Amino acid sequence: MSETISEQTEITESKIPRRSSSRTTARKPKKSRVPLALALAIVIIALVAFGLYLATVDPRLSLFWLIGLCFGFILQRARFCFTASLRDPTLTGGTSLTKAVLIAFAITSVGFVAIQYNAYRMGLPIPGAGYILPISLATVIGGFLFGIGMVIGGGCGSGTLMRVGEGFHMNMLVLVFFIIGLLVGSYDHTWWQLNVIQGAPRVHLPDVFGWFGAITIQLIVIGALYILADRWESRRKSL
Amino acid sequence: MPKEVVVDALGEACPVPLIKTQKAMKTLEIGDVLILKIDHSCAMKNVPEWARKVGHNVELEEIGDCEWEVIIEKVVA
Amino acid sequence: MKIFENKFYLTWLKNPWSYVTGAVLLSIFQIVILAATGSPWGVVGPLNFWGAWLFELVGGNPARWYFFGEARLPILEAGFLAHAGTMKNLGLIFGALLATLIAFEFKFKKIKAKRQIVAAILGGLFMGYGARLAAGCNIGALYSSISSLSLSGWVFAAFLFLGAIVGSKLLVKFFM
Repeated sequence: MSETISEQTEITESKIPRRSSSRTTARKPKKSRVPLALALAIVIIALVAFGLYLATVDPRLSLFWLIGLCFGFILQRARFCFTASLRDPTLTGGTSLTKAVLIAFAITSVGFVAIQYNAYRMGLPIPGAGYILPISLATVIGGFLFGIGMVIGGGCGSGTLMRVGEGFHMNMLVLVFFIIGLLVGSYDHTWWQLNVIQGAPRVHLPDVFGWFGAITIQLIVIGALYILADRWESRRKSL
Repeated sequence: MPKEVVVDALGEACPVPLIKTQKAMKTLEIGDVLILKIDHSCAMKNVPEWARKVGHNVELEEIGDCEWEVIIEKVVA
Repeated sequence: MKIFENKFYLTWLKNPWSYVTGAVLLSIFQIVILAATGSPWGVVGPLNFWGAWLFELVGGNPARWYFFGEARLPILEAGFLAHAGTMKNLGLIFGALLATLIAFEFKFKKIKAKRQIVAAILGGLFMGYGARLAAGCNIGALYSSISSLSLSGWVFAAFLFLGAIVGSKLLVKFFM
């Protein structure tokens, strides 16, 4: 951090007009828009064509392709970043993404519990049961390693994929080594499974607190964290 | 006399541009202007957001495809 | 051209949406895909298969590993183009590309310094190995897990947070 300020110039008065606008100002037409417009047209045609091709193979594939496109589009447009939601409170003091992620947790929980409860009531297997994961030392170590990795790698799972799409070479390199890490992890999986994960509890909160109790407690916890995040930011605002 | 400082964060990923901004702003006096050059699509949102929350005057200018200048005038200490 | 000053182009396709808008839209899609497919959003599962398929290309035989036994073997054998999760991840990449192109903000962003290469390699490996241990990333083991009312998601979140603090210290010290 020795070279923070790379260039200093003294001028007599500040150039900036005294207003606080948040919008992108109209850019000077320096470069032609034609190459990107062409790229955009080609990409749109290719995305649609690939979707149509998948539909002929298996409609399920084209559905997932469409869902993926929507997720990528939303993540990029909102600059939604799960990494920042966990990193920024302690690093830069900002909690706006933390609060947004908590809002997502709250809304999605309510939707999921409705779907789960409906399946339970009709005696069907609970949708998403595969995501009620075992809690073991592997969760602890995995979370810790992932937390370190996502901060220095500049993005988590979804963030890395999103930034690959945005054209960041660094995130492309991250993706390669993410996949290698997963492969090494799957090779080692036997050991972890037999010695650590096997027999670890999978706790579905409704089994402990009942359906109504579980969603109520979940929303109270999310609400409390939201208030905490908000106070944290006000406390650090004068940074 | 107000001064103008340029911070080059081109090619830097989040959260580096914001940390550089926070550090540079500490060294400035009220009325000074910082110009931050970035090409990270998330920094063009989180840097202005931070500066506005603190209470500075902020302008975001798009200077090319995926290149921006964030112009921050220090208003509060 | 007039369209670039159009109010709706600017608010919908050019200027970033608010984080809360993103949160609401992601939630809607999460709920829709759980209802439609019986499974919430996950990112790591498909990436794991990408690794296995690439490993097979260079002569490896991951099908003999315990991890790829039973439930995962049919997916492994069916291949890349038949895997629904793969299409979702590819879609995510290209959806983000589409969003940047529509905003006319696309360029390839090159690696600037050696420290970024080191950070990318270490970050990727840590995330990959960690995600395998925890059986998911910030999507599967965190977002989808917490939303499925699983306690594992909250445990994962707590240690992610601790890891992020350590990662931030490393980032500021070595990679900035």
